[in-house]
Parts: sequence; C-alpha cells; structure tokens
Amino acid sequence: MRTRKTDILILGSGGAGLLAALAAHDRAPELDILVAVKGLFGKSGCTRMVQGGYNVALSPGDSAGSHFLDTLEGGAWINDQELAWTLVSRAPDCVRRLETVCGCFFDRNPDGTIHQKAFAGQSFDRTVHKGDLTGIEITNRVSEQLARRGVPVLEEHRAVALLPARGGEKRVAGALLLDIRTGEFLAVNAKCTLLATGGGPTLYRISACAQELSTDGMTIAWEAGAEFCDMEMVQFHPTGILTGEGLQITGTLLEEGLRGAGGHLKNALGERYMARYDAGRMERSTRDVVARAGYTEILEGRGTGRGGVFIDVSHLGREFVWKNFKGMAERCRDLGYDLAGGPVEVTPTAHYMMGGVKIDPACRTGLPGLFAAGEDSGGTHGANRLGGNGVANSTVFGEIAGEAMAAEAAGAPLLPFDPGAARRAEEAALSALGGEGSPYPIRAALKDLMWEKVGLRRTGARLQEAIGEVEALRERAARTRAGGGKAYNLAWQHVLDVRNQLAAAELIARSALERDESRGSHFRDDAPHPRPEGLYNIFMRKEGESFRMERRPVRFTRLRPEAARPAPVSSTVD
Amino acid sequence: MTEAVFHIRRGGEADDPEERFDRFRVGVRPRMTVLDALVAIQGGEAPSLSYRYSCRVGMCGTCALRVNGRPRWACRTLVEGLGGEVRLEPLAHFPVLRDLAVDMGVFFDKMKRARGWLEPTGEAAREPVRLAPESPERRRIEPHIECITCGICYAACGMVGHDPGYLGPAALNRAFTLVADSRDGAGAERLAEVCGEHGAWRCHSQFNCTEACPKGISPSDAIQALKRRALAEGARALAASVLRGIAPGSGRPAA
Repeated sequence: MRTRKTDILILGSGGAGLLAALAAHDRAPELDILVAVKGLFGKSGCTRMVQGGYNVALSPGDSAGSHFLDTLEGGAWINDQELAWTLVSRAPDCVRRLETVCGCFFDRNPDGTIHQKAFAGQSFDRTVHKGDLTGIEITNRVSEQLARRGVPVLEEHRAVALLPARGGEKRVAGALLLDIRTGEFLAVNAKCTLLATGGGPTLYRISACAQELSTDGMTIAWEAGAEFCDMEMVQFHPTGILTGEGLQITGTLLEEGLRGAGGHLKNALGERYMARYDAGRMERSTRDVVARAGYTEILEGRGTGRGGVFIDVSHLGREFVWKNFKGMAERCRDLGYDLAGGPVEVTPTAHYMMGGVKIDPACRTGLPGLFAAGEDSGGTHGANRLGGNGVANSTVFGEIAGEAMAAEAAGAPLLPFDPGAARRAEEAALSALGGEGSPYPIRAALKDLMWEKVGLRRTGARLQEAIGEVEALRERAARTRAGGGKAYNLAWQHVLDVRNQLAAAELIARSALERDESRGSHFRDDAPHPRPEGLYNIFMRKEGESFRMERRPVRFTRLRPEAARPAPVSSTVD
Repeated sequence: MTEAVFHIRRGGEADDPEERFDRFRVGVRPRMTVLDALVAIQGGEAPSLSYRYSCRVGMCGTCALRVNGRPRWACRTLVEGLGGEVRLEPLAHFPVLRDLAVDMGVFFDKMKRARGWLEPTGEAAREPVRLAPESPERRRIEPHIECITCGICYAACGMVGHDPGYLGPAALNRAFTLVADSRDGAGAERLAEVCGEHGAWRCHSQFNCTEACPKGISPSDAIQALKRRALAEGARALAASVLRGIAPGSGRPAA
C-alpha cells in the first residue's frame, strides 16, 4: 500500500473543503495541505448546486442578533447556540472575503452595494446571491484561488476509513483513500484531518443532492467512534422538480427565491394549499412546514397524478422571472417547461441533514486530530435549516476549520498510523469487489423504505419496521460483491456507497424513533406536536458492535425561548 | 414506449483492449435525458460502463460527452429528438480514462496558464467594491461569467485539435472576464500571457465554441475583445516582452 504524509488532509472540495484549504494555506503557507475529493475538484458536492444564496446580516437595518433569532426559531430551539452564533457572527466577514480574497462578485443593488433577496423564515431580506446560481460563483472562484496557490489535489479519491494512530494513542492520524480511477489504495498520514464530504440524503427515493454523496464522511467518523447529534433531523425541500419518476433530474431544486419573490404553491384543484397549514406566512413559511404541507396534499389525494403539486410564478411576469431566475428558467426550458408561463410540477425532495458529527465552534470533533465542517457536522441548524444558511454554514465553518487545523498542525508531531487498521480497511473495501452482485436493487429498496417510513411523516411503528429492513439490507450489502476490475468501476463504488448509506439510514431511523414528538423537520403522526420537554438533542456514538444513545437538554447559552420576541412577519419583495 | 439504440464507445484499455461501440436498447420515456439512459444501461446490462456525473442538473459540468458527434451535457439533453440511434463518445481533445470518462486535467492546466483567478488589488482587496450592475464593466463581464468549465467549448474547438498548446475558449473567456475586471491587479501580465503564441491570436473566429456552449456564452466574443485590448495596449511592446519572458507590470506586488 502506498503512503503519503501531509500536515493537513481535507476530505471534500465543496464549500467547507475549499474554504478550509484556503484558510489553512493563507494562515500557514509552509504547511503541506492535501485535498482529496470523490469527484472532480470544485465540482463535487452540493455547494456547487446552491441556487438561492447566502444568509448574512450586512445591511444597516439588520443584525447578527436578528439572524441568530431567525436561525433558532427556524431550528425549533434545539440548535447548538454556540455554533449558530458562530455562524451568524462570522458570516459577514466570510462573505466579504469571498469577494476580496476569492474574487466572487455577488449581485448588486443599483447603487452598487451588495443585493440581498428574500428567503423564507427570515425577518429581513438578507440572502446574498449571484443570480440563481450562487454556488457556481463560489466554488469556481475559490477553486481558482487554490489553483493559484498550488494546493495539491487528488481527484476521484474517496476516503474509506479514518486511520487511528499506532500504539493505542487516541488520535486520528489520517485516512485511507481509494483512487477510483485505478482502484488502488493510498494511506495518507496527516496531523489533522477534516471531514468535509457533505452529507446528502441521497438515501431517499427523491433527493436534491449531488449523486456521488453517500454519507461517506459520516460513516467513517461513526466507525472511528465520533459522537453524532440530531440524526433524526432530515430536511425536505418543498419544490424539487418532477419530470418523471426515477428520472435523474427529478428532485433537483427549484429554489426558494421563487417563493420568496411571491410564487404560489397550488394543488391539482388549483388551491393555494398553504392557507390550510400556515395562513400567516403562506408560501414563505419555513421549509419543514411547506414541504410537509405539499406531501400531505399529495397523500390526501389533492396532488397530481404523478404525485406532485405545482409551483406557479407566472403572475410575477415573464421578464421578472427570466431576469431573476435565469438558471431555473433555462433548465425548465430544456426539459420542455415554461417556468415563466405557468405552473411547473414539483415534489418534496430530501435535501439536507441537520444532524451529523458533533463539533465545537472550532470544528473539533471529540476525536483528537479529526475536524468536521459543513454538512458532515451537526447542531448549527437544530431541527430545521433556513434556506440560505447552508452555504453560509459550509463556508464559515470551513474557514474556521482551516484556521484551527493550521494552528494545531504547526505545533503537533506527525504520529504514525496503525498499519493493521489500514490493512483491515483495505480488505473491507475490497470485500465489495470480486463477485457478480449488484448494489442497485439494495439501493432502490433503501430509498423506498426511507421515503415511506423515515420520511416527511413518521410513526413509531413504521420506524421500527424500517430499522429491521435496514438491518436486513445491511446484511445483503455486506455480502454483495460487484463484478469487473478495479479501475473506474462504478458498480464497485456503488456497493461501497450503499453500505455507507445504510449505516447513516440506521442512525436516522433510530434517532427518529427516540424522539417521540414532532419538531421542525421531524414529524410523527403518532405524536404530532412538540412536547414542552422536547428541548433536547439526541447523541449517538458507536460502542463496540453496538451503540450508545442519550438525550441531553439543549443548553441555552445565549437565548432562552421565552426571552425571544414573537416572530416578525417577513418583508415582501418589491 | 418507444425505443432508442445507444452505441457507446468503449475499450482501448490495458485490461479491455478492444476499442468498439457496444449497443444497448433503451426504452424511452417522456423527458428522459441521455444521462437517464446511461444510468439505466450501467445499472442494468453494463455494470462496468464508466462515465461521470455529479449534480445531474447542469451545474457541475462533469457529464459532458459527444452525442451523435456533438459535445453536450448528458443531463440536459433529452433523448426524444435525437432519433432512434444515439452514438455516445467521450469528449474530443481530452485523454480518455475509460469508456466515456475523460481526464480534464489538461483543460484546468490551461486555466492556470491563463492565470484564471482574480488577483485583487487596492481597495478591492479590502472591501467589496461598489459597482452598479448596469456599469459598463459589469455589462461586459456578466454575459461571460457563468461558465461552469464543462469543457464543451474546448472539445468543439478546431484550433485545440490543431495546436494542443492552444489555451482554448474557456481559459480565454475567463481571462477576458479578469482583464475587464477593475478589481484585478494582474492586467498587463495576464494580457501578455493570453495573447501570446498559444493564446487569443490562435483563434480563427470559427464560432464552434459559441455554437456549442450550453450556457449561451460566446467565448469568441471574449477572444475578440482580448485581441482588441491587446492591440490597444500596444501589441508590439507586449509581444517583445513575451519573447523576453518578462511582461510589463510583473514587478507589481502579489495581492
């Protein structure tokens, strides 16, 4: 097995990985940094797919405190308040550096200041954006800066395990990578390792995420013994486009700016159904409420024949739609729809995992040497993430992780990794190759069961069933060996993917069973209201071949719910 | 349900030496894309088929390939309308890794040669600049900035095939957006590099890139603008400095 030494190993090149690499390099250019990414550099993951934008308090009338309160109210008050505060207080500087260091140029007001648009669940229009393709601007510009700095990158290399230090010292000393192109393994020995692989609930039938995301970071962190929080909290976005069942583009987003700008959601009867669920905020209610409303309409027979509802922005005017939502309008046109001309069929779609590896505000996990940022980490968003807080989260915490790792790596020794662990990880990955098996029936079964039993509306009984079914699928996946050779063998990679997805599925289902109330994105038909005693987080950690789960009360380190003012009504768009 | 026959270029590897077109029959559903067909083929008959995609919706720019000879995104190309016979090949001008997956390294190396990054200078390195969206500067840049580096223009360009050192449309398009950007401090140096031997003057304005770009960007216009800029700034001085390997302005401190 080949090995390579580095100071800092960054897994992933979405917002978190890119900003971490940039921040670490600029803070300590003498350090060796290595970025490993499952797909192509700057092109893999979900930051790239961000349409709407980036929440940040920049305007004189806005404040970090107001952004903070919106984030907690959106998160149903179970956010880690220190993480949420870090997010809102660092976002302004982070977004400025995206312009002044990286070269982004976000949309402007006529007076030349940065434009901020309306998103849902916010007391102020604070979403910075580049048209409706904000993520492309961010990932392109930051990738370029890393190219300029010559930071080395390994493309199409996935991490299959974290490597513990040799000799029993409790420290992560790098990761075992698999080169997807050649099928060869590379053990990277690092002082600091960052999980920035993105979460991505691709384990649901309909999903908004980049296809290669398969909870890889979470799975290897779980195996290494990291602590997790809030895994029951999976966000469904209300408006994924529905072109046909099983088609790849189905589930990808028509972004929230459409609702922010005054778009209407209608069922097959033509009713603006949000009146039934949140008459005050209507379409601009938070994602959890709007997504569940659409799902309920479909479930109760008021959806379209294919299981969708409609979004209609035609009343905003053709010119407005094409000017402000060009990316979506073009996409719809390519698929044979006219976004500006009438209703387009949409479906709720699995979008984001609020849960993940527990971190502190410096992105430290409980495992020395291991950091996490972006969707691999949990806690910032509580029970529901506000639209526009996702890319803010990945970039802010990416920067923080980069700085923290640079500081730590400067003084830390490089501990050798345990070669036995590397060999075992290699064998485990190779156990998915060398047969005639297919991962696809397993993946399809997993997606169906997660959608139906661990989805937008859950019950204890269905969750119990799901846990059993996931267990059975795990046994099947463990026995599945793909055919073909080692080089660029997608079937082999997909067996590894589905094994990881099954590991995350179990955590989601078990955590969802534990929370016997409804809160934010987690809704239980058998307990449809939040409980007063529900202000806790669920923590999980692997112990031997089993796991430990515990509830811990939320620590209101900055604001108690009863001290918060009533939620203001969002302003409307001109 | 109608059917289409896909002919997919494969092989030519050490462990799969025979270069060939494999045939696959695929049932065509409404709004099915070439990407959907690839997923169906690889998930069914041909699990060993190699190809690449990520976002599935025209943002990542990794699924580009040749569809009946034309470079296109698999994810946004509807199968209906391609006729019953569909030939899929890897993008031209890129080394093939396997089957339909190519190595994009050469394309990004050229982005680097064109210094495809902003080098913020002055006030722009301290604060976001105040610049109206209707300013002449942004009106020049905006039609060119949404490039997703999918490589389609590069594959479509005849000059890239003729001169492998040619920077190609995407790198020059990016260079144009930077040369036009008042925040950038590498102006004259960058212009010298992208208007050198393998740069803008290699372009014969055949508009293949512009015709092929799925984003509606015109790299041809960007390249024309670079040429005009180079002439305006003194083509002779620039050419001389390029030959010496020293561009005017290279003493400028890095941002």
